[in-house]
Parts: sequence; structure tokens; C-alpha cells
Amino acid sequence: MTIEVKQLVRDLSIPSPGDITRPALAGERETMVLNMGPHHPSTHGVLRLVVELDGETVVNVAPDIGYLHTGIEKSMESKTYQKALVMTDRTDYLAPLSNNLSYVLAVEQLLGCTVPERATTVRVLLVELQRISSHLVWLGTHALDLAAMSVFLYGFREREQILDIFELVSGARMMTSYFRVGGLAYDVPPEFPAAVQALLAIMPERIDEYEALLTHNPIWLERTRGIGAIDTASAIALGVTGPALRATGFAWDLRRDMPYCGYETYEFAVPIARNGDIYDRYLVRVAEMRESVKICAQALDRLIALGPGPYVTSDRKIAPPPKSEITHSMESLIHHFKLWTEGFKPPRGDTLAAIESPRGELATYIVSDGSPKPYRVHFRAPSFVNLQALPHMARGHLVADLVALIASMDPVLGEVDR
Amino acid sequence: MNRTIVISQILVIEQAPGWLVAALNHAIIAGVLLIGGAITMMLQVWVERRLIARMQDRLGPNRVGPEGILQSIADGIKMFTKEDIIPRAADRWVHLLAPIVALAPIAMMLAVLPWGRGLVAVDLEVGVLYIAAVSSISGVGLMMAGWGSRNTFALLGAMRSIAQLIAYEIPLIIALLGIVLLTGGMSLARMPELQAGIPLFGSSIPGAPDLGLGWFIFTPVGLLGGIIFFICALAEGERTPFDIPEADSEIVAGYMTEYSGMKFAVFYIAQYLLNFALAVLSAVVFLGGWQGPGVAWLADAGLGAAASLLSLLWLLLKAWGLFMLMVVIRAAVPRLRVDQLMSFAWKYLLPLALVNVASAALWVGLTEWSSIEWGNLLPVDGLAPWQRIGVAALVTAVINLGATRWVLRINRAPAAAPVVVPA
Repeated sequence: MTIEVKQLVRDLSIPSPGDITRPALAGERETMVLNMGPHHPSTHGVLRLVVELDGETVVNVAPDIGYLHTGIEKSMESKTYQKALVMTDRTDYLAPLSNNLSYVLAVEQLLGCTVPERATTVRVLLVELQRISSHLVWLGTHALDLAAMSVFLYGFREREQILDIFELVSGARMMTSYFRVGGLAYDVPPEFPAAVQALLAIMPERIDEYEALLTHNPIWLERTRGIGAIDTASAIALGVTGPALRATGFAWDLRRDMPYCGYETYEFAVPIARNGDIYDRYLVRVAEMRESVKICAQALDRLIALGPGPYVTSDRKIAPPPKSEITHSMESLIHHFKLWTEGFKPPRGDTLAAIESPRGELATYIVSDGSPKPYRVHFRAPSFVNLQALPHMARGHLVADLVALIASMDPVLGEVDR
Repeated sequence: MNRTIVISQILVIEQAPGWLVAALNHAIIAGVLLIGGAITMMLQVWVERRLIARMQDRLGPNRVGPEGILQSIADGIKMFTKEDIIPRAADRWVHLLAPIVALAPIAMMLAVLPWGRGLVAVDLEVGVLYIAAVSSISGVGLMMAGWGSRNTFALLGAMRSIAQLIAYEIPLIIALLGIVLLTGGMSLARMPELQAGIPLFGSSIPGAPDLGLGWFIFTPVGLLGGIIFFICALAEGERTPFDIPEADSEIVAGYMTEYSGMKFAVFYIAQYLLNFALAVLSAVVFLGGWQGPGVAWLADAGLGAAASLLSLLWLLLKAWGLFMLMVVIRAAVPRLRVDQLMSFAWKYLLPLALVNVASAALWVGLTEWSSIEWGNLLPVDGLAPWQRIGVAALVTAVINLGATRWVLRINRAPAAAPVVVPA
């Protein structure tokens, strides 16, 4: 290894809590150990950080994860493909529809099934709404961590409206499980376009409102500019993706670079910034919300133009037949019975489906042994990977910056621990 | 000169021994101040919660009593019934005494504040000095809390508080010093009396009506001093953007982390009372205190009691206005970082406060010295008092404006690289 690479590896290595809590050796400068979390107001869930402090300056940080480990990946192995879908809602609980999408795309790849145009359009529309709602939670909590309290409540006001739309289509506000293998669980109700239109009409000016409170606020600038910066090379070495990577100036967005769900046919920009600090991540996410609004508007127009049509694949081996058919078709009854007792059997093999979730690249890896239950499911969770960069970014900054830094990486612990 | 109405004059009973009258006198004053303080604190919490809720598009407490005004009482009862937890590792006595040490000096501050025309509990000749001395005692209470709790967050919070209190106390007192120069005395009771008349010129123009608007905030010295004082008051009262000692997202609750039940409530009361006392102090020193249109007119008409009542209303109006300004600031801005807070105190406020004291001295020289005192260099004797005030205002305005611009310029951060968000 060259010296530079060795240096990079040392810089980027992730300390373990034991490295920090060991007593100081003779001649070593004595430091204070602060245990932040798992019960701490701003660790966004149950993240535990063992922080080594020199005064208030962070010398080292060791993230200690696993407090929210619920064995989601393992549990999915004992459920049929349809039933395992429900568990995906619970990983990244701020973006359940994105998780649904990644999972159903992977299963559809295994099965080689096609999805009706209407379902794909609704998927894009809802996933972009989900991105806005997830970014609103990030914006609110980020601002709240820096004591800009009002932004939090303004953000949650609009998020409420988005959750109402989810409730309208799926009956659930957060744990939607709305995307099913082969399409959607049900068709969208007739009120749906109007509800989305109402949201899209107010959203741009509401985003202006948040920006008015923060973007040029001198205290906000002081607190975020130049803090926790990371360069593109380190970000890629650490596997950082999503807004945090784009904030370093590297335009990489799976929606544009490895399109799925027909994203290549939508018009949208991939916002990037230059310095990779907290402020740039803020700018990128806010710009992304505006782009998502544009995508939603396009998707809604298409949905209206498409008119009524099938919302789920007509392959009866994958999607159950409608109730009306069961009462008079023997074949349908058999399909229904087979699907809900045994499930479908994808061919042997493995597959990976990656999407751009609000937090970065979310990929679902599924190994099939030909049975109705997945042999192994693994999520490439962006929160988990992005968290690796935290020690690298935090060193040399203050405890107060650490709080802002965690918020700017927007980790969801459900996804980190799974 | 009988400026104060001694409350117990009503009670003087013939043949009552002097010590009894004195004891009753003090008991009544203490009772009024403490009960008034407690009620004020409850109202403050309610106003803060309702106002901030209004700004944030939500309702706030609206269930207990009309418009939720009794919410604080419900909270108080809850606090009383909570278990009082003392951590096993804590220093018992220090932990126990800390809230008391934090609250007592703030209650003591209330005693010297002039609440209205002739309404002052204790008229100290060195009121300003007393306030400065007493208000810094409560910092000891915070350090005791942080140290006694034996908790890292509490200790960090206490260290932050002490650093912040010391840093901001200096510009705060220097800002007061300018006004002390202007008034020529440290008595807080006298300060509102000197702010009668019309804006800027006070009572210096013969024949001008006494509108009670000769507030120091209308003079260049008072304006800069007032702004510095109010910013420092935000920091002393640990309010956003300076609420760093108890930054909940960073260090949980700072020095209060290990407190529960009534001891927590005592810290809470101390904080709100301090906010209110500082708001009253700002009003007294810079906003004319109880002066306002109508007070002098009522007093001249022989309605002394009505004048006092109106003056009390004016003071409360100003103090509550300032408190609401604090709440609005809290709703609008994020929190500074601890080092940024320090550099703001030392690099911005302190130099400006020092320049302001120099301006105040110049003001006094230009308005009060005779030509002989100026060594016959300035022919000031020929000018009428209001003309001299005009000249002084002009000169000090130029100095203060120049100093502000200079301080802002030398502290300007190097321009950061522009951020591009390409389409």
C-alpha cells in the first residue's frame, strides 16, 4: 500500500467504543469520555456514541449501534415473499414506501414479471412524496437540534398533509405496505389527484418559508458552514451515498444514473453543492425537495392522462385475482387459494435492486432457493453505511457540532440496525 | 425628598413599638414581592407557551382554566408530587442547596427595582452596583448544581453557564455604566425620574409638555447601551440564541439534568424570574421605567394614587413587551455554539460597550460642563441646555455609529466559497 492509501485507511477507520473507554496510557493526554445516547434527545433514535472529549473538542467518536436490532432480515426468511413485504416498512420508518419499492423491484426481477404503467407511475409519485416527507422530518429535526424550533413545526404541518395522502391510498399513514409484487395493493381512490394537486400547489412556497428562516440566517450559517466537511474521495471510500455524497460535488443519483421505474422519462435535476459540509447537505436536500415536487407534478399529469386501467399485473400466479372473479371462476379460486396458502415460487438465483431512497442508495439483495420463502434477504441500508463517515467528519469539531452532524447525516436507526 | 411610599404607613398604629412596625413593614414587602414574583412566573410560562404556539401554527395549552391560564398551577402541582431524586453519587448537600442559591439572589434583585411612581421597596443609593453584585451570585448555584450532581452533562452545562455568565456580565455592566454617567448616580429609583419630558431633550426645553417620553433609548448612548444590555440580558437569562447551558439537543438539560420534582421547579422559577427581572431592569434603565404619557399630568392634577397606578401599568407594559420579544426571538432563531457565543461577547459587545461609555462621558461633558471646565476651549456656555443636548446627540451618534460599523467590519468572517446548486 502506498503511504497515502495507508493514511486514508487510518483516517477512515472506525473506532470501537473500547478504543475510547480504555484508561489513558502514561504520557498520553487525559481526555474525558462522554456517553451520548442511546437515550439522548438528539441521537435520532437509539444511536449510542462514545465520545472522547478534550474540553468540548471531539477527539474521537465511536458509534455503537444495535440498540434497535429487531432481526428484520432474519424474520423475512421465515415468511413468504408477500408476507415479508410488511417487514420492509419497519426498516427505514421515515420512508416505508421507498423500502417497499426496493423490495418489490427485487422480487419482480426474480420473477421476471412486468408491472402495468399505471402502477409504475403511482409508485414514482408516491416515492417522491415520500422523499419530501422524509426530508421534512430531517429538516425539522435538524433545525430543532440547533434550536430553530419553529421550522420543525412548519415542516411537520406539510408532512401531515403527505401522510394524509398515504392514508388515502393505503389506509395507513406510515406502515403502508402499499406496493405489492406486480403492482399496487389497490387502485388509487378518485380523490387522489386532487389531494396531490393541493399539496403540490402549496409546497414550493412552503419550502421558501423554511428557507427564509434558515438559508441566510447568520446563526444558521455559523453553525453549519465549514462543519463536518468530507471530500468526494473519502465519501466514496466510506461508501457514503445520497445527499451527503452529492453535497461534496459528485453528481451521483441512481434515479438518473441507473434508472428504475422509468425515471429516465421524467425531467428533473440532480442538485449538487461543493464543500460537503453540513450547510451543503442542507442546500442539497432542500433543492431535492423542489425537484421532487416537479417529478410529482409530471407523474400526476401522466396518471391523469393514462386514465383508469390495471394497477397490478394480470399474472394470476403472482397477484391474486379480484374478489369478483373468485365467486364464479374455479381457476381464480385455485389461484387465490394457492397464493395465500403457499405463495409464489421464484426460480433459484439471486438479485439486487437498488433505488435512490431519501437517505441514499437503498438496495435489496434476495437469494432464492426456489421455495416460496426467501433464502436470504439483505438490505444495503444507506443510513448504516453513511454512519461510518461520522467519526471521520466529527474529529476536531465541538460537541455541539456533533449534534448538528448527526442530524445532517439523517440516520434512521431502524434501518441501521434492521 | 420623599420618593418612596413606605407601604406600611397605612399600618402605623399609635403606640406600636418601632420594631414591630419595622418587622411588619419588611414582612409585607417581602410577601408582596415573592407572591408577585410567583404569579408573574406563572403568567410568563403561560404567555411564552401560548405566544410561541401561535407563532408555530399550533394551539399551546388551552385546557386548564380560561385559555389555559391555569396550566402553570397544574404543572406546579405535578412538580410537587414528583419524587425528589438525589443520585447516589451526588454530593447531597451541595445538590440540595444549589436551587436555593440560584433562586434567592434573583428574588433579592426584585427588591430594588422601582415598580412605579414612588413604588420602590428598597431605595438603595447603589442600586446598580447591588444588582450587578447580587445577580452574579446565582451563577454559584448553577456551578453547585453541576458539580454536586456528579454527571458529565451537568458538569458541562455548569461550566458553560459560568463561562457565559462571566463573559456577558462585563458588557452588561459596562452598558449600565454609560447610563450611570448620564444620571450621575447609581440609584435605580432615580433613573425613571430623569427620563421625563420629551424624546431626546427630556425636560430641557422650557415650556415643553412633560410627556414622560425622555427615555434614554432615544439618545445615541442609550440606544447602543440598550441594545447591548438586551443582548446580554438574553445571555444572562439563558434564552435562545444563548440557551447553551441547557442546550437540550447537546447536553440534555445542562446543570438541571439530575434534578427532579420541586428542586427542578425552583431552577425553572429562578430562570423565569431572572428573565423578568432583566426585562424590568432594561425597561427601568433604558425605556423610561414607569414614565409614560399621562403620569405627570395625573400627578400634577393631584391624583397621586392614580398616577402611581398608571406608572405601574406603563412599567409592566414595557417589561412584558420585552419579555415577549425574548419569546419571539426564541421562536425565530437557532442557537449559537459555545465558542461563537464567547467570541460574540468579547469581540463585538465589549468594544462597543467601552466606546459607549466614552460617548456617555462626552455627552456629560457637552451637556453639563461649563466653558471653564473645558479650559475655555469650547464656548458651550452661550448655548441653551437643549441646544447643548442636540450637539451632544449629534457627536455621540456619529461616534457610536462609526464604532458599530468598525466592529462589524473587523469581525467580518472571510467570505466563504459560493455554493452552486446547478439545475
